[in-house]
Amino acid sequence: MTADPVLELSGIRAGYGPIEVLHGCDLTVGPSQVVALLGPNGAGKTTTLAVASGQIAPTAGTIALCGRNVTGVRSDALARAGVCLVPEGRGVFPNLTVTENLRMATFSGTSLSEIEERAYTQFPALRDRRSQTAGTLSGGEQQMLAMSRALATDPALVMLDELSMGLAPLIVEELYGRVAQLAADGVSILIVEQFAPAVLGVADSAAIMVHGRIVEQGDPGDIADHLTAAYLAID
Amino acid sequence: MTRSSRIVIVFAVAATIAVVATNWAGNEITVAGLSGMLIAGLALGSIYAVSATGMVVVYSTTGVFNFAQGAIGMYWAFLYWELRVNRNWPAPLALLVVVGLLAPAFGVVIDRLLMRRLQNRPLALQLMVTVGLMLALMGIAAAQWRSDRGRGIQPFFGTGGFDIGPIVITYHRLITVLVAALIAVSLRVLLHRARIGVAMRAVVDDRSLAALNGARPGTVSAVAWALGSSLAAVAGILIAPESRLVVEVLTLVVVDAFAAAAVGRLRSLPFTFAGAILLGVGQQFISRYLRFEDGFVNMAQALPTILLFVVVLAMPQARIEARRIGTRTAHHPTRLTHPFEALVGMTALFIVVAAWSGSWSNVGVNRGVTAMVTAIIMLSIVPLTGWAGQVSFAPLAFAGVGAVTFMHVAGDTGAWWGLLVAAAVTAPVGALMALPAVRLQSLYLALASVAFARGFELLFFTQPAIIDPTISGRQFVDLDLFGWQVGGNSRSYLLVLTGLFGALVVGLVGLRRSRFGRRWVAMADSEAAAATLGISLVETKVAVFAVSAAIAGFGGALLGIQAGTVTPRDFGLLIGLPIVLLLVVGGVSLPAAALFGGVNTILFIIVKDTWDLSILQTLEVLGPGFMAIALVARPSGAVAEIGRAFAPLLPWRADARHAFAADRRARRLPEIGRLGLSEPFTPDAVVELDRRLGVIGDVTPVGGYVTPISGGATR
Repeated sequence: MTADPVLELSGIRAGYGPIEVLHGCDLTVGPSQVVALLGPNGAGKTTTLAVASGQIAPTAGTIALCGRNVTGVRSDALARAGVCLVPEGRGVFPNLTVTENLRMATFSGTSLSEIEERAYTQFPALRDRRSQTAGTLSGGEQQMLAMSRALATDPALVMLDELSMGLAPLIVEELYGRVAQLAADGVSILIVEQFAPAVLGVADSAAIMVHGRIVEQGDPGDIADHLTAAYLAID
Repeated sequence: MTRSSRIVIVFAVAATIAVVATNWAGNEITVAGLSGMLIAGLALGSIYAVSATGMVVVYSTTGVFNFAQGAIGMYWAFLYWELRVNRNWPAPLALLVVVGLLAPAFGVVIDRLLMRRLQNRPLALQLMVTVGLMLALMGIAAAQWRSDRGRGIQPFFGTGGFDIGPIVITYHRLITVLVAALIAVSLRVLLHRARIGVAMRAVVDDRSLAALNGARPGTVSAVAWALGSSLAAVAGILIAPESRLVVEVLTLVVVDAFAAAAVGRLRSLPFTFAGAILLGVGQQFISRYLRFEDGFVNMAQALPTILLFVVVLAMPQARIEARRIGTRTAHHPTRLTHPFEALVGMTALFIVVAAWSGSWSNVGVNRGVTAMVTAIIMLSIVPLTGWAGQVSFAPLAFAGVGAVTFMHVAGDTGAWWGLLVAAAVTAPVGALMALPAVRLQSLYLALASVAFARGFELLFFTQPAIIDPTISGRQFVDLDLFGWQVGGNSRSYLLVLTGLFGALVVGLVGLRRSRFGRRWVAMADSEAAAATLGISLVETKVAVFAVSAAIAGFGGALLGIQAGTVTPRDFGLLIGLPIVLLLVVGGVSLPAAALFGGVNTILFIIVKDTWDLSILQTLEVLGPGFMAIALVARPSGAVAEIGRAFAPLLPWRADARHAFAADRRARRLPEIGRLGLSEPFTPDAVVELDRRLGVIGDVTPVGGYVTPISGGATR
């Protein structure tokens, strides 16, 4: 018998008030798998992550984590259970210091000293800025701080939303290097990205989302070929 | 600091020096005197600081601005008196029970029941519910502890103290200052060292990210409210011996706390403390070294109000908020009333009043007049709060301006045109109040309106030139309508008022459909969108304030004619709050709600007079208070709800019948099977569901999947 997938969304319908964004979305992330979720603007990628992290309750469908139904469980409970979403933009608290930001990650159950040690080993640049407020860090440092939560708290599932947005290519490369390392450690990862080349290298599997549905899921190489057609809505 | 705020500050300092120089009482300045002033001021400021800190902690972590902070402290101060003085409990035990047990428990309960549902709701709703809580607490306290006897709390360790040279320090003041310092330090430690405190600050930055980190949002807001309630209790218990144990006095400490919190821009605790100390020392300075005469005797009491106004003036321009549409906007009715419908309704109202009032006693007619006058003043809130989304707690202050204007131009002749003059004079006053605050967020505008109402109560209406306290006879004679004398308590006056109310309602309904009305609603929906369409926000806000004030001034003149005489107290801040609340309870965007509010005002009086129960003695504040709290569940208001239910009965409202039928269909949905249970349903059920919901388009289910719906999914 094969192990249950870490994340399984089936038939998810969800949206904002009367506006439905996801019209029956199915997506699976297997154990130790890195899945890239690609698609054009407004396809519902971020909404998918919001549903998977418990921020939005679906109006239909189920969310299962490691085989357990967690539909309707709120985001703070999921976070403590080991689901780590690094949201779009900078996932940091701008008025809190770097240490205080890491302190917030201790709700996951990992001790502060452990988190600090892992974070500063991965990103030595943060160590010198420990008592600086996160809002005064550079964009790349902020993203590193946000990533620290994923790297240091030992989550079961990491979800990354638009990691590369607004960052220099060199930093994007460094960050995806950490993602690959995380994947090598056996963490399951779901990555949302508009800039496909950045992510297809680390992904085991890729899915294309258009108009609130997954239209194709498969090998990253094959998906790359179909991506242009999906973006431009050519059948 | 921007140039304009620097100008305001320079001006404020210059004005302060001028006021001090002209009102110097001539007391000798001694070391003992000065240090005595400093110590007393420091103690008073510490109390303001504690109260304001509670407000800031709650506002910054939950986004709900708590108008009830003063009332909560008032209630706990009374309860402390009950335990300590009336039941003779030892002070430490009474303190522990009130501050350590009951106050935090109360905070947790109101968070669970009320405040959590207010997060991310329209500002008007948040403010109305907390003001409702304030009035409810005032009503409960006044019923529980009747004002028929004096009450006092002894200072801690009595009047004892110690001397340092010529300076006398009482233990109570020393304790007060120490407690405030201790609270400041503990808050600092809590917010920076404890994880729950860091989480509270994290929530301020980004609520959803805090949840993504695993912080429990419920715990954070419960802690904030528990803390807020306890701090209110500390402030209330400390200030009670220094002032008097009177419901209104202790409740109004909140206005002083507003001013301190505004200095900290409702966020910064150190600046809040600084503002509070400034206030305390300033008030002591005024009462010790300055002498104000006649109309200005309340200067020390009015200082927080003045500071609040100056701070609002000096504050830099707020960013125009581009928030997500639909999450925070007010409830608008789906259909606008047609002026013809309003005309028919108001004619019907007039006929009913004319036919029925013939059999009323004098008392009945007088109550009818009160209802109509109140309803007209309430109409002033409809365009301002209902349409333009600006919250003002000052309608009664504007009514007062209208009343005194009428009194001066036509009080002795009763000439009808005096009503128009009253409206015309009040309109620019309304615009003047709006001007400093229009650049700021709507919350500051609401605070400015509180400052304005309180300032007018303490400093304007008290001027002998405005309301002469020496006059004992009637200040208003009968209204003279083209030679027809209408007495303020006559049935004819009731009919005149009903007619005027009807005309105003029809006019407002027409105004709502005009370009002015559309602009106000557009601005309330999205300031950013309105600005990009080329609508000047400042002009639009000032215009709606002027219109609102004119209506209130008109109503105020009518109120004066009914009353015959007016005193400064008639237009107080606390008296005006039930008027605002009852209109909002009716449905703030509907002119018809003013009738509901006016009738309710007298219903409370009738109920109170009919049944002699102690809890009903304070019904005129308790009733509006509890009704406003109920807005949490039904924010669109009573008249809107009634209208929705009755509209399908009107022959020309086919649209309402359609909506009603669709609503019935939706309610019958669970019948189609096992929806909502954790049982699977088939693609056929999905198709049937879509058909019933009227969903058209690409709803064909993907080949044969079977989806269990869990109960938790549809919250």
